[in-house]
Amino acid sequence: MNYVGKPVKRINDKKFVAGKSQYVDDIQVSALHAGFVRSPYAHARIRSIDFSDALKTKGIVAVFTGKDLNPMLKGGPGPWVTYIDTKDWRYVPRNALAEEPRYVGDPVAIVLGIDRYSVADAIDKVNVDYEELPAVTKMEDALSEKVLVYKELGTNVGYRKNFTSGNIEEAFKGADKVIPVEAFNTRLIPSPMEPRGIVARYEGGSLTVWYSTQIPHFAREEFSKDFGIPSSRIRVIMPDVGGAFGSKAHFTSEDLAVVASSIKLGRAVRWTATRSEEMISSNARHNSFKGEVAVKNDGTLVGIRGDLLIDLGAYLTYTEGLQPAIIPLMVPGPYRVKNIHITSTAVYTNTPPITMYRGASRPEATFIIERIMSTVADELHMDDLELREKNLVRADEMPYKNPFGLTYDTGDYLSFMREAKEKLKYQEMKRWAEEERRKGRLVGIGTAFYLEISAFGPWEYGEVRVDEMGGVTVITGGTPHGQGTDTGIAQVVAEELQVDISKINVVWGDTQVVASGMGTYGSRTISIAGSAVKIASSQVLEKMKRVAARMLKADVEEVSYSSGEFTHRDGRKVSWDDVAREAYAGKDPGLYSSVTLEGDVTFPYGLHLAVVEIEDTGIAKVKEYRACDDIGKVINPALAEAQIHGGAMQGVGQALYEEAKIDENGQLGVSYAEYFVPTMVESPTYVSYFAENPFQSKYATGTKGVGEAALIVGPAAIVRAIEDAVGKRFNKTPIPPEEIYKAMLDRKS
Amino acid sequence: MVNPGEKVKVRVKINGVEYEENVSPRKLLVHFLRDLGFTGTKVGCDTSTCGACTVLLNGKSVKSCTVLAVQADGKEIITIEGIGDGKLHPLQEAFSDNFALQCGFCTPGMIMQAYSLLKENPTPSDEEIKDGMHGNICRCTGYQNIVKAIKEASKVRP
Amino acid sequence: MYPSEFGYFKPSTLKEALDFLEKEDARPLAGGQSLIPMLKLRVISSKFLVDLNGLSSLSYVKDEGDKVRIGSMTKHADLVKGNVKESIPLLYDAARQVGDFQVRNMGTIGGSISNADPAADYPSVLTALDAKVILDSNHAKREVDAKDFFKGPFNPDIRKGEIVSEVVFPKLSGYTTKYVKVVRRAGDYAMVSLAMALKVKDGKVEDLRLAYSGVSDTPYRAREAEKLLVGKEISEENVREVAEMASSAVNPPSDVRGSSWYRREVMKVITMKALGGQP
Repeated sequence: MNYVGKPVKRINDKKFVAGKSQYVDDIQVSALHAGFVRSPYAHARIRSIDFSDALKTKGIVAVFTGKDLNPMLKGGPGPWVTYIDTKDWRYVPRNALAEEPRYVGDPVAIVLGIDRYSVADAIDKVNVDYEELPAVTKMEDALSEKVLVYKELGTNVGYRKNFTSGNIEEAFKGADKVIPVEAFNTRLIPSPMEPRGIVARYEGGSLTVWYSTQIPHFAREEFSKDFGIPSSRIRVIMPDVGGAFGSKAHFTSEDLAVVASSIKLGRAVRWTATRSEEMISSNARHNSFKGEVAVKNDGTLVGIRGDLLIDLGAYLTYTEGLQPAIIPLMVPGPYRVKNIHITSTAVYTNTPPITMYRGASRPEATFIIERIMSTVADELHMDDLELREKNLVRADEMPYKNPFGLTYDTGDYLSFMREAKEKLKYQEMKRWAEEERRKGRLVGIGTAFYLEISAFGPWEYGEVRVDEMGGVTVITGGTPHGQGTDTGIAQVVAEELQVDISKINVVWGDTQVVASGMGTYGSRTISIAGSAVKIASSQVLEKMKRVAARMLKADVEEVSYSSGEFTHRDGRKVSWDDVAREAYAGKDPGLYSSVTLEGDVTFPYGLHLAVVEIEDTGIAKVKEYRACDDIGKVINPALAEAQIHGGAMQGVGQALYEEAKIDENGQLGVSYAEYFVPTMVESPTYVSYFAENPFQSKYATGTKGVGEAALIVGPAAIVRAIEDAVGKRFNKTPIPPEEIYKAMLDRKS
Repeated sequence: MVNPGEKVKVRVKINGVEYEENVSPRKLLVHFLRDLGFTGTKVGCDTSTCGACTVLLNGKSVKSCTVLAVQADGKEIITIEGIGDGKLHPLQEAFSDNFALQCGFCTPGMIMQAYSLLKENPTPSDEEIKDGMHGNICRCTGYQNIVKAIKEASKVRP
Repeated sequence: MYPSEFGYFKPSTLKEALDFLEKEDARPLAGGQSLIPMLKLRVISSKFLVDLNGLSSLSYVKDEGDKVRIGSMTKHADLVKGNVKESIPLLYDAARQVGDFQVRNMGTIGGSISNADPAADYPSVLTALDAKVILDSNHAKREVDAKDFFKGPFNPDIRKGEIVSEVVFPKLSGYTTKYVKVVRRAGDYAMVSLAMALKVKDGKVEDLRLAYSGVSDTPYRAREAEKLLVGKEISEENVREVAEMASSAVNPPSDVRGSSWYRREVMKVITMKALGGQP
């Protein structure tokens, strides 16, 4: 019954491959369809809305505007207070429908009808009289405060904080060299394949919501707070969710308008975003760092200072507050640099709102520090990894308190770096690239190291039930939506209980079934949710031992358990199934245990390597992507590798293809014809290794998390590979072929 | 001929069963299928890019978001629900065996396109798979395991 | 995502189709791979669609020795499978790169050229090969040279009541042809594409044709540049000259795929490479 560490097949695949999956739009509920009238202006005031023609359209039931729905709200979504300190923020909670739209696409009216086509017809017939207001669509312009996104705030700055440690002035004074650095991540669109959707049914004072979300319990809290419905009367059900990458921990105006409409009409209401609507609902990244680093000639990094500027879009979403507060903390990364001064500023702009996206703040921090390391290596003519090795926190300093107070729990970065270099064949690949370049092939090798903060607490819920037939139901507050952590959790439980994995069913994502929960995000699930059910399993097993002892008329100390059998010292045995049945027959019946496990962050790390090849046109392709990671204990290597593959592909996207472009009028390119999500043709070959002797976390599972690793470090490695190929510095993602081509021309001349 | 606003009779065979429905000419095949309960066919974009809606129309893979239901009149459609023949099709098995899915949303379209590809080219190389499958977008897997699954399925003779 | 209402007519003969198109506010529906997306976006509308998919007489590839006649309803996938590979290799190379596998199973050559998208694959191929477009109406048959057919972006020379019924490709003999398509991402429209045909006799260029998509409102045939090589041996220098001249005569658009400047540079690079030079 060994499951942990094995590439166990995913336990819930069948429905997905057979076409029986149930995403929110697949759920058969008799509901009205909702559609939205959206602002064509980046900033405007609404003088009036005439929807009389729309109401006459066949099949249309109602049209509501902000005036109808906003008064129903008792609050409105603001930042995620579990992780974000509202004191640091200036913001205005979001409404159900905008009365002063603040980005192109901001919904101003909801149209409800019996089918999607009629709703689309009616949307075209709503006449909105807008008074266009001045708009600011670039974050650099927002800083000047000439145009305000929120007059009532008196500023575009939502957040500004200095992150200071050590003695920055002295560090720069004593440096051998001061090197300017820049790192810029353009705006991305997370774009999970399933566009978001919601079905809300309000009946007799109770609200049921089927919701494409990764945080059903927080959604229950939010809807309760917003609409004044007791949380006990709200049931949020997360059906199959077709990817989220952080972007579905997000309450949109559309979601609120759907719930409000359901309450108002007493009918079920459904909204499924089109791809364009999905793309405008959640943008990501978009930040710049400008600063300088102080170094010694031997490569020791002594100081970093600079300004971090972050675009928030038009509203402070549930999750975007994480970025400006976490990026600076993680800028030191795995390195010993102590003197740091970063001013982190986040501004509102008249652009679609920004949410977290796979890695949320660690990709930004990693890009900054890895750009710094690569730039310094160039300036000091040192090898990339030699420079990093010089600065890595040493094993004897662990646990290491970083300059901003984060405690790196376990690891030996230096030994790992040496192991990873071997595995990834760093030296050979470098030599190979040089040789190929001499032959005229434009190839390049890039590496980057990352230290990730993951497995966020503060807690997670886990419950294990063994029923009278011996079946095991595992209930988790984690919310797997593609990662396969349901399988990982089943492995942990199967190993702990020594039962066949087919006996186990993992249940999640229904607030009426799961007592409490936080959800799946931040590479936390297998660590914190997995540990919660592991502990719950052991508690249930303890009780089963007591039942077995009763059946064997023995003391519990005399009974041992292994592989489905409880055995007395004298050799008598009772089976798992018999014990389960007896547990519901005798006194003190029942076999359940629930654990609300508190936990704190842990720090995985790794070295990734990208191989790129560039055509004469400047079009680059990542040919190969190699990863070596210490993610703590690996529960399922096949699932862990799959996370590396997927994250790396998104890293390739961020580095070379994906850019959410906003034109001068604030219009975002909202289709796959304008936003280049990579296809199979753009995919590299992946090779993934995990540390042979991993450093475990304090979690019972010993895991650290792997969900975000490759997107955290991938862009930095790929950008470095492009630099290696063309010999020019790039500080921005994505690098379009045009920029590479220019660099190639520069080099030629 | 039907005038705007009128409906037209559409007779199709879906996964071997005849259906007769009155539909508006503007109704897209993907919505027609989904409204009949064939929700395995997904809508992932609105620009005919992502391929989540791929089905077979008279044996050829098409993006059902870019076909009108009325165009399917008199034709045969196979959806993801129809390839298994009571058990999983080797492609469905191979996707599961090779960890070729994560969130699963693109999976039906991927499998239908792979089915179509293998029909035309029973032993594709990696490059041929990529060339034949780039009309299907996956955001989770990074594609390598999908290529592996298709290759593996190509070796199974059902 | 949801088209506006339209009426629908599926004729069983070409005559019925043409009668209807003449009388009504109607658009022909061929493969629909461009039309349906535009209807979904509601950027175009039409009172009626005339579904040509019942007209099997418009789907054919006829090799007549010195030319090949291709019925307008012939699907891209059919062009990839038949003997077009031998008879018009340039068309074959372009057809296999149109959109993606599924799009090629539905989309037709007539539908594609009737859309006259400046970034599409066929316009440059037709232009390079001096193909002729045959248009039918109930009154007359018209033959239009490819160079005149593409009048502007999304603006083909199709009159009210007409449909494209056939494309006629003269067969080239002794030519080497290449279709080079540069995309930002597989399946996307061309940032730049080049349809090239080259005939070399006794080491000297007898004929060269260079036609580009994606760089201008209409497919761009670089006639002046073509002439530079005629009668000459191909060399590193004159290939560069051809590429320079071809690219300097257009002012390509700037969009998410690339700037005007970059498109011109890409034109140069792919032209040089297609002619065997080094960029």
